[in-house]
Amino acid sequence: MNWAEAHHGSNLLSFENQLEGWPLLLILRIMKLFESLRKPETEKAAARAKELEDRERAYYLKAQQRLGELIGDNSTLPVTINSIRLIGGANTRRTFLDRLFNPLLSANRDTPYTLAEALHEVGDVTRKLSKFAFVGRPDPIDPNSTPTDIDLFFKVRERGRISLKTGTDLGNVEGSAYGNLTWRNIFGGAESLNINASAGTRTKSAYLATFGTPILSNPDKRLAVDVLASATSKPWASHDEALKGAGVKYTFGTGSSQHQIGYTGVWRQIGMLAGNASPTVREDAGDSVKSSISHTWIFDQRNHPFLPNRGYLMKTISEIAGWGPLKGDVAFWKSEIETSAAVPIPIPGIVGDSGVSLTGGIRAGLLYPLPVGFGSTSQPSRINDRFTLGGPTDIRGFKMAGLGPHDGADAVGGDIYTAGSLNLLMPIPRVGKDTPLRFQVFANAGRLLALKNNEERGGKGSKAAQKDFYGSIAQLGDGLPSMAAGFGIVYAHPVARFELNFALPLIMRRGEEGRKGLQFGVGINFL
Amino acid sequence: MPPEILEEVEDSAQSSPFTRRTQKVRSFFSIPAPVKTLFDQVPILTYPANHLPQRAPKPSRIPTLYVFAREGDAPAGRPSFNPSCLKWQTFLNIAGINHRLISSNNHASPAGRLPFLLPSASTSTSESIQPVWSNKFVRYAAEHGGRVYESPSMRYEAYQSLLDHRILNAWLELCFLTPQKLYNLYLDPNNFSAVAYPLYISPVSSNPLVRASIAHQLRTAAETELLKHTSIIDTDDLYSEADKALEALSILLGEDPWFFGNEKPALFDASMMDSDGRRRNCVER
Repeated sequence: MNWAEAHHGSNLLSFENQLEGWPLLLILRIMKLFESLRKPETEKAAARAKELEDRERAYYLKAQQRLGELIGDNSTLPVTINSIRLIGGANTRRTFLDRLFNPLLSANRDTPYTLAEALHEVGDVTRKLSKFAFVGRPDPIDPNSTPTDIDLFFKVRERGRISLKTGTDLGNVEGSAYGNLTWRNIFGGAESLNINASAGTRTKSAYLATFGTPILSNPDKRLAVDVLASATSKPWASHDEALKGAGVKYTFGTGSSQHQIGYTGVWRQIGMLAGNASPTVREDAGDSVKSSISHTWIFDQRNHPFLPNRGYLMKTISEIAGWGPLKGDVAFWKSEIETSAAVPIPIPGIVGDSGVSLTGGIRAGLLYPLPVGFGSTSQPSRINDRFTLGGPTDIRGFKMAGLGPHDGADAVGGDIYTAGSLNLLMPIPRVGKDTPLRFQVFANAGRLLALKNNEERGGKGSKAAQKDFYGSIAQLGDGLPSMAAGFGIVYAHPVARFELNFALPLIMRRGEEGRKGLQFGVGINFL
Repeated sequence: MPPEILEEVEDSAQSSPFTRRTQKVRSFFSIPAPVKTLFDQVPILTYPANHLPQRAPKPSRIPTLYVFAREGDAPAGRPSFNPSCLKWQTFLNIAGINHRLISSNNHASPAGRLPFLLPSASTSTSESIQPVWSNKFVRYAAEHGGRVYESPSMRYEAYQSLLDHRILNAWLELCFLTPQKLYNLYLDPNNFSAVAYPLYISPVSSNPLVRASIAHQLRTAAETELLKHTSIIDTDDLYSEADKALEALSILLGEDPWFFGNEKPALFDASMMDSDGRRRNCVER
């Protein structure tokens, strides 16, 4: 999964909420989809198409083989790249292209190319071009009069500079309408400005403007500046949260390993409290500023982002807020780690991939309070910084934020958590393993704890805080974790994963909110 | 939902076949018996509740009054700097309603402003505790054994007819003190930076941008409030109105320890704490 997808997904994440009254319309739509999946096409047409496809593939393979042999025979042949011509790309800056193409030209290199090397470099530039949303492909190399001289032609097509999109989204109890404006290639260097506005039932309003640009014409290094304003309803803790903020993010990395370092300054306002909001939520009502530096690393080796049957994922998120020169009103160190892995399970009697797979995931996180600025007393965490756990996308069988400390009916969040899940996915009989549909049996468990109050025990310094911290970690092992198990249907749509499960909470803490029976989940990041 | 509509129609029909069908519909939508037994058996194991986070206020047996207060003032039970909070704090003290204070802000309040009272969990009958806003304090105090036997509103009404509208005038004048206070605190540049800023704006956030934004919001709100009563904001006029009001109150009080010749203080005296706070602002100026 590349960053663009990950980014797109983060919008979706906000919809990952629990179904209370699942809209009938969507269920109908899903049922229709099931039907269409089962509906066999006219068999003759299918057979013919398959034959055609096979023939094409064979031809393509042969051509490739021939080309490979040709290149292989001449791979050590010395070549020089004489000129590069770009066809199309009227709106793209020369300096931007120079940075891409200059390293290719033989005049700018110390050592001569062999054909193989040259092809490799050209391929690399093509990859970069296509990453910049250009459709790029080198034309057949055209030998010049000198035997070693070659000219390169790149035929590109720039994507539309401005695109405007509006639509509606439907998630769990969330319905929203959005408008999106994208302005590409603003200064002719693959810069982009993306303005997104949405209004919905849970995310009452959200405005996000992001300006992104590649660094030194390299698509693998991107700098983005964003400004956001949003208001979100958090019914599990009887309040609304309004955010206004800005941030800078730098993304780098290649292939499956991606890093992101960023600074965020955000003014949070907890207000619009419900009449029966708990004292804990009332205590945290009001304004606070978070000024933080964060780092995210994703290493994704899975063969599918939503429904993998092979590979593993590692993800770490670290954030430091308020400490030292960062200032602000809250200070903490926050770390989260997430791993998930999938293994195919061979079934005796079935040759090849059986379609049965076992996936498992573990997540853990902790929040360590720090003093704001250069102070000495650490600040206890606030509700908007603490973790929540539970819901159809992490611990199924529990309500949204159903695990962890509850003050009355409010889920007030915790400072330390662990969560784990084990899912056995099986193809649905008569639907087959090639469809994105699976039947699943799962068990998941988790624990969410708040740090203990050190003042109760008389200690106040950082030593006492440390002791409490380790004490709280040790408490994770007290008794069995809160747990739920069940079964259901999984559908991997190209943009998100849908699950409809029947779950039963088996082990709970008093105050935690389980959900017995049917539960629907939409999201891109399931535990 | 269709089944509900069905039920309604059939209930009004009051005929037995319909009723039977209703029951059928109802049983179709209710949880089947085997599933229900299954539901009743889970969770198999329930541990004690998780403890609350560090910032959560400790549970208390007495009600909690949410007020504006300086750091350290609320736990010590010291008076609030906000006139309205001070008035009701005084009232509760006079009425003998034992309470604790929590320093808070308008966002915590159901009505968008302080003070409000959160009854303790033990005295509340329902599980969710509903906050009591200040206009219900008198009733709350009366219901919870407070000393409000000399019902302030009744005495106030009696005196109103007896004392030739003087109190009414004083009250009206007092109402004009509200813009007076607002003027003092929020609009006058000196008082704003000396009084309002450290009390109402600094505690909100340490961030200068947020403070500037809040300061702007408060001043605009104060100005709007003032312009509700008068078309132009005239400083001298506002202060002379306040002087008159205080004079009227002074005459009303005379040599008595409490207003209306009471032997004990009442709500009106608590309100006086409020205006006293305002008076001090005038004197400071």
